[in-house]
Amino acid sequence: MKKLLNLLPLAFFAGLVVTLFFLLGKDNAELKSVMIEKNFPSFSLSTLENPNVYIDQTSIKKLPALINIWATWCIACRVEHPFLMELKDKSIISIYGLNYKERDNGDKARKLLSRIGNPYEFSFFDPKGKLAIDLGVYGAPETFFIDKNGLIKIRHVGPLTADIWEEKFNVLLKK
Amino acid sequence: MKAFFIYLSIFIFCSSISGDNLKERYYFDDPVDQQRFVNLLEDLRCPKCQSSNLSGSNAPIAQDLKLEVYNLIIEGKSDKEILEFLTSRYGNYILYKPPLEVNTLILWMGPFVLLLLVLSILFYLRSSSRTRFKNSKDLR
Repeated sequence: MKKLLNLLPLAFFAGLVVTLFFLLGKDNAELKSVMIEKNFPSFSLSTLENPNVYIDQTSIKKLPALINIWATWCIACRVEHPFLMELKDKSIISIYGLNYKERDNGDKARKLLSRIGNPYEFSFFDPKGKLAIDLGVYGAPETFFIDKNGLIKIRHVGPLTADIWEEKFNVLLKK
Repeated sequence: MKAFFIYLSIFIFCSSISGDNLKERYYFDDPVDQQRFVNLLEDLRCPKCQSSNLSGSNAPIAQDLKLEVYNLIIEGKSDKEILEFLTSRYGNYILYKPPLEVNTLILWMGPFVLLLLVLSILFYLRSSSRTRFKNSKDLR
């Protein structure tokens, strides 16, 4: 018994090493979304394209769809932009933009899209981040996948790449 | 010693400029609401900058959430309703005091279990060494 007790600190230390080894490398930046398997939250916003046109959750008509949170101030959004254009050009899936917290009336965002190309059916204009809070968004870019029944299936944090598309999204699209 | 005071003054200076001045930005008629606001922001975690609370963060999302909490208090919502509003969107992650659930059991019980374990080992070692001491006395 005594000998066993002498080994206890060592066992404790070994346990600590193993736990830390597996936990420290883990990426905690992507939080699990509580919105998965839920309906898209209701909202009422104008579109970026036309400030006089108001839309709500029923305006997301072409399902399945991606909802992509983007902004002109968001640098990582520019990284994923070519891939979003590719999705659009190949008609793989329809993408709706959620233009997030612009500091002007949307001019900058409209100009940017006309310059580098617009991958979105249209964008919801959300300068105050209201819909973003309802979605549990905490930064840009983020991408939500809405299935054909209107349920949120995936929330991806960070730029969308071809690899991530293959790994996480494409499987659902085939269903 | 001199260096110590320089460090100390830098530290005090930095801590006074960090965070934003909540009282100036968010005005409440009722000092009770003011205090609720301050308490809530202390206990809510910023989802973007994960090791700081809302009151200590200036990330855009933290500013939005502060405003959201402010508006909810002004609307007359209770603390419980406000926490429900936030956890239904951001999950329990946003709480610095997570509720007692199966997956947080180790978080709540861990320290007590560890303390009990150490105490029982100490007790065992003490009692066994005492009997040995007694035995050696008997031999003499």
